[in-house]
Amino acid sequence: MKAMRRLAARLVRGEDAAFIRADLEELYARDRSQQISAVRAHFRFFRRLIGSASSVVVHKWPRPSVPRLGWIDLKLAFRLLRRNAGISIVAGLALAIGIPVSLAPIHLTLALNPTLPYPDAHEIVGIDYIDTDYGNDRQLTMFDVARVRREVASLATFAAARRVRQNLASTDGVIDVRSGAEVTASAFDVPRVKPLLGRTLMASDEIAGADAVVVIGHDIWQAQFHGADDVLSKRLRVGSTSRAVVGVMPDGFEFPFRGDFWIPLHVTLDTPPESGFPYVGFARLRDGASRRRAAAELEALRQRLALEHPAPYAKLRAEITEFAFVVTNLRPSVGKVYPVYVASVLLLALACANVGTLMLARAASRQREIAVRTALGASRMRIVMQLFTESLVLAALAAATGLGAAEIALRQLSIVKLFEASLPPWFTLRLSSLSIVVAVCLVLFSGVVSGLLPALKATSRRTYRAIQRGSAGGAMFGWTTSALIVVDVATAVVCLAGVGSVAKGVFRAPSLGATTLAAENLVTELYLPPGVIRGTSPAELPARVERLQRESERRLLAEPGVRAVSFASHFPGMRHLERRIELEGRALARGTDIVRMAFIDRAFLDALGQRVLAGRNFEPADVVAKGRPILVNRSFVDRQLGGTSPLGMRLRLASGPDEPPDAWHEIIGVVDDLGMNVIDPANAAGIYHLINPGQLHPAQMLVRVAGEPEALVPRLRAILNEIEPEVVLDKPVRLDRVFSEELWEARFSAMAFSAVAVAAVVLSAAALYALMAFAVTQRTREIAIRSALGARPLNIIRVVVARALVQLTAGVALGAAIGAALVPEMLSGISLAQNWPTMLAAVSAVMCVIGLLACAAPTTRALRIQPVDALKEV
Amino acid sequence: MQTFGEFEQLVLFAVLRLGDEASGVAIHDEIEARTGRDVSPGAIYTTLGRLEARGVVKSTVVAEGTGRVGRPRKHYTMRPAGARALRDAYAGLQALAGGGVLAKLNDVAKGSGR
Repeated sequence: MKAMRRLAARLVRGEDAAFIRADLEELYARDRSQQISAVRAHFRFFRRLIGSASSVVVHKWPRPSVPRLGWIDLKLAFRLLRRNAGISIVAGLALAIGIPVSLAPIHLTLALNPTLPYPDAHEIVGIDYIDTDYGNDRQLTMFDVARVRREVASLATFAAARRVRQNLASTDGVIDVRSGAEVTASAFDVPRVKPLLGRTLMASDEIAGADAVVVIGHDIWQAQFHGADDVLSKRLRVGSTSRAVVGVMPDGFEFPFRGDFWIPLHVTLDTPPESGFPYVGFARLRDGASRRRAAAELEALRQRLALEHPAPYAKLRAEITEFAFVVTNLRPSVGKVYPVYVASVLLLALACANVGTLMLARAASRQREIAVRTALGASRMRIVMQLFTESLVLAALAAATGLGAAEIALRQLSIVKLFEASLPPWFTLRLSSLSIVVAVCLVLFSGVVSGLLPALKATSRRTYRAIQRGSAGGAMFGWTTSALIVVDVATAVVCLAGVGSVAKGVFRAPSLGATTLAAENLVTELYLPPGVIRGTSPAELPARVERLQRESERRLLAEPGVRAVSFASHFPGMRHLERRIELEGRALARGTDIVRMAFIDRAFLDALGQRVLAGRNFEPADVVAKGRPILVNRSFVDRQLGGTSPLGMRLRLASGPDEPPDAWHEIIGVVDDLGMNVIDPANAAGIYHLINPGQLHPAQMLVRVAGEPEALVPRLRAILNEIEPEVVLDKPVRLDRVFSEELWEARFSAMAFSAVAVAAVVLSAAALYALMAFAVTQRTREIAIRSALGARPLNIIRVVVARALVQLTAGVALGAAIGAALVPEMLSGISLAQNWPTMLAAVSAVMCVIGLLACAAPTTRALRIQPVDALKEV
Repeated sequence: MQTFGEFEQLVLFAVLRLGDEASGVAIHDEIEARTGRDVSPGAIYTTLGRLEARGVVKSTVVAEGTGRVGRPRKHYTMRPAGARALRDAYAGLQALAGGGVLAKLNDVAKGSGR
């Protein structure tokens, strides 16, 4: 019966438990008194007991017996967070960085594959070929477009599109460069969006020889036609073709690319399979047709094509994929994101382990409180829930802060805006509800790892036994703590060394070197659209480009205020080419054989207000000169030649193993550093190669103007369009406002990388401090005994610091070893990274100092304690 | 209008029958005696707890009872509102089950037994 009674005590809980148990016993006693056999009475007791227990559980089910989070827990949590503000801020900061950082890869994937804002968007798919050898994708050709359209039945609508960027000019002469799309008429049936005015494209528009038409977006309607009602009776010149405006799409409609005009694509069957432009293929599945069926049909077509044309099709695989992937071309990278998910969650786990250790250290300092509460009847669950609540509140606050900051950054950062502007409008990096759901999961994860587990440990029987024995928190901190310290220090060393090497140069203003006239220069990209180039024979193109360049130079110089005109592949501040070079009769050290390069015309230096520092500038005869002259810059002389005069030296561009070597070039002059490397001006060695007008396409054009250069843009467009109606004058901007992709990419990755590194470092420093301080505090008694026995302070300090030093040294050594292996790999290709060994040494020293500082305060405190007091304490 | 489950009705009628003596064991015995069902005390208390929360019954803890001396017992009594609700619920059932329906029930039961 004793066992039954114990079982009843265990199983029957809740409000009326005492009555129920008493009744159970009474009924049992009556059964026994009524001559019922012991076995039967036990059986009946057991049956009633189970019935009672289950009805109590079922009754209580919506409110499980696990203590609920109440206001009191929240209040306590906030109070404790406030009381230990230092630890709260450090732990909070770590999570405020850790949670958004670990959310980032998932968020990015979600953001890049959004639900399209069109009816039945799940039916919209992308169509793509994958090269089975290399795994990269190969877009459709005109031939594919024609065959897929004719032969795949599962697709309700199949469409193809190509980005175009062309000059638009309405009849009143406003010229503008706009992005748009050349699309099959069916492209409008995929999103099923009705035009605002007129119609969309029709199949009859696609036929060669049909009237040239264009559908315009709301933006062009407003900008070029001032929102005129009779826009459908007007014409718009797109490139050199005058087209009738047949429709206006509603505001915000940009499909399938960012852009706001649509011209018909002429689909013909008689093109060879591998020729022409690449097209993005997309479709709407037929009602009820599955992706799998469509993919099978597409693959069957591919196999038929492979029989007809083995060369291109044998090694391809047809695929139905996400529409977003074919539009952004980001599909191949998605597979690579999964390791990043794991890595980011591991990073968060490390962050949480550290925060958890801080929590545990704090819980240890509260052991007496916990013990008293337990003695007063608080259940273990109750105490665990309270500690868990505290971590959850901390994680939630941290996540809210971190995500709030991230959201503000995503709204404000120009780099994000530029990225978004390059993608269709339904992509946004701003936080979506799905991302927030993931963030909530991460908060729970953080709460569990940093709160629940330490709380369970802090309240475990082993810990209580340790308290009973009188040794305080020792039971909680064993070798795991030492391991964590070592891992922390190592992580911090690796991250800091990596970031420190790069970030230094990234966040200062882009360097334009000695360029002084940037504010007077206008630069713009000048090119003929691919469609025009296709219609021009290869022999004819250079002559056409040369005429354009020479004529525009002549006409522009005749304009008032224009001082100089120059054409080049790159002007200061742009991302220059990189080439490996060989110097005649001289071996170059590894790393110094890569230099930057630009193709320039003879007017380049004059236009930038520069003169040669030594030697001479290019002359007209140099174009055909046998010596193939080049200029080098000051950095080249300093770094590659150690300051010796380069004049007369010869160099050539080193070729790969399979390529014939380049001819030798003679160095004829030295110029100042002119922004060849905006991030790292110390590493800007470069050469300038002379180029003829006409040899460079597309080219950058620079115009030096007296006054505000950007005011010249309309006139510039007018002049150039008179010379060559098709020429696109793209992104005209003042030279000092040139958007250097190089700089922004570097800043973007440095920012992401720094965020991770700062999180790692803050965490490890904090955890290191807390753990060291805690470990020393735990040894107060030992220190007291030692000093009571006559140990001198210096000896005591030695004893205390020795263990800390072992942990620190192990961490630094591990970090340095990993860093030495990883950092050069991580930074390969980043020219700023030469100083990473110094960085590694510096960071190691800093971590040691932090660790020793952490020991200092508690050690001095321990030394000040009177031995007798310390012994009384415990 | 309040509705009651079948078990709730059993318990409430037992409470009604027992008057001032409606304790857990007494209710158990009453139900067992009248219906032959050996219900568990846990089920009785949780049901009554729920009904108490709904204002159908009220409970008092009595220090001494009919069982072992000194053992506290919880006694339940019907509240007027509870009694009205049970009356209405039972009246509804009676109205539905009255007339010739019981005879029909017998017929069907016999038919299904065959």
